[in-house]
Amino acid sequence: MDTLNNATFEAIQLLASGDSELWNIIGISFKVSTTAILIATPPSLLLAFLLAYGNFPGRRLLISVFSTLLSIPAVVVGLTLYLILSRQGPLGDLKLLFTQSAMVLGQIVLCVPILVAMCHSALQAADRRAWETARTLGAGPARAVVTVMHEVRFGLFAALLAAYGRIIAEVGASMMLGGNILNATRNIPTAIALETSKGEFSQGIALGIVLLILAFILNGLLHYFQGKGRFAT
Amino acid sequence: MDYFIISRARVDSQRDTMINIQFKGIAKHYRRRTILDGVDISLQDSQCTLLCGANGAGKTTLLKIMAGLVRPDSGTLNTGLGEMKWRRCIKALKEKAMYMHQQPYMFDASVRRNIAYALPPMLSHEDRDKRIYEALAWANLEPLATASATSLSGGEVQRVALARAWLRSPSVLLLDEPTTNMDHDARLRTHNLLRQLKDQGMAIVISSHDALQFQSLACRQLLLKDGKISPVNTITQAENVSAFPINPLQQHQQV
Repeated sequence: MDTLNNATFEAIQLLASGDSELWNIIGISFKVSTTAILIATPPSLLLAFLLAYGNFPGRRLLISVFSTLLSIPAVVVGLTLYLILSRQGPLGDLKLLFTQSAMVLGQIVLCVPILVAMCHSALQAADRRAWETARTLGAGPARAVVTVMHEVRFGLFAALLAAYGRIIAEVGASMMLGGNILNATRNIPTAIALETSKGEFSQGIALGIVLLILAFILNGLLHYFQGKGRFAT
Repeated sequence: MDYFIISRARVDSQRDTMINIQFKGIAKHYRRRTILDGVDISLQDSQCTLLCGANGAGKTTLLKIMAGLVRPDSGTLNTGLGEMKWRRCIKALKEKAMYMHQQPYMFDASVRRNIAYALPPMLSHEDRDKRIYEALAWANLEPLATASATSLSGGEVQRVALARAWLRSPSVLLLDEPTTNMDHDARLRTHNLLRQLKDQGMAIVISSHDALQFQSLACRQLLLKDGKISPVNTITQAENVSAFPINPLQQHQQV
């Protein structure tokens, strides 16, 4: 118990002192995950909408595929992309392995199924009259899509938070694709794994605190918007 | 009760002066069940058509097809430019027609924003505010302008939907059971607004079980039965067919 108390105390001190190594790790983590979610969100939303409102061959199969991919282990994504990006792999010439770009790629692959499946569920649950009303009031397809998405914005926002939560906390893909290189590809989860294996619990706990605070802020934001932003004049 | 009657010269100038839309041979099937079997219907300006039929007769499907929201399996359309296949004229149809659900959908926004949705997005702020104000006044909705549209009563929702129709000013307005579950006062208000839209030249099609209710508004009545459409000579006939489940004796009398 004393070890945990001491480590937590040291962790808070580390965070408060502005330890550059620690904050660098936090910065890399946010940069990589935010880039991944920004790239993945628009096509995922579009795909989710097509799956919810479209009528094309293979639609049900695609829905099943994305639902299955929800539970894909991060290490499997890491391993697959490692083989593709390694020197002997088909994309080896791009020399992306052990870079932040490779980590972004891995996190995109991880978050797309979550975004598609959850956004699809939210859009599927939307009242069909929303789409028909938008169209009959003269909205073009693009405006009608935006309108329907606005109607289910809380469901979509929840999907975004779930996807962000998954990728910012995943270890497997980041470890294999980034290589856990200090000041380059070491992010919060890989740093926690490394420091714990070395017996340095304080930095691990400090980074864990950051992740918990982030989760708290994101959930707080969701509830705030749900409560206050029901409609706008 | 005071209702605002505002000049429609501006809107009328945007709409075709003469509406003559002809739907021919409209057919629709759902899972081997024939809903519509070669329906022919034509619409003219200032003409109010009452569409009767039993539950499940295909009234809603027909209205949605006429609004361009549902694609029929076969059929042609003539909007004045000659008879065309459905795919070629769907855009023109969507521009001309507007469909109102039995329970109109209100976006999760204020009444004002819901009404503003019917305006073209490129309109200037001044024009937008002016026209929204006109629409609010027309439907007597000014006190509710900033209220959440999702918390309105059935009658108020219908007035917001009609205000959107007034603002959009389509050539053809298609209403699906517009006064269901409304009290007497709300019905009167809705009738009054519909009459104004009709007087402004809109072709209106109302699907309703209650033929008597729209007797003073409708110019003609059509009966949709077994996927076919036919004119109804008397209101009683329409009532008998559409309002309540038909018992075998009634069915025998009709034949």
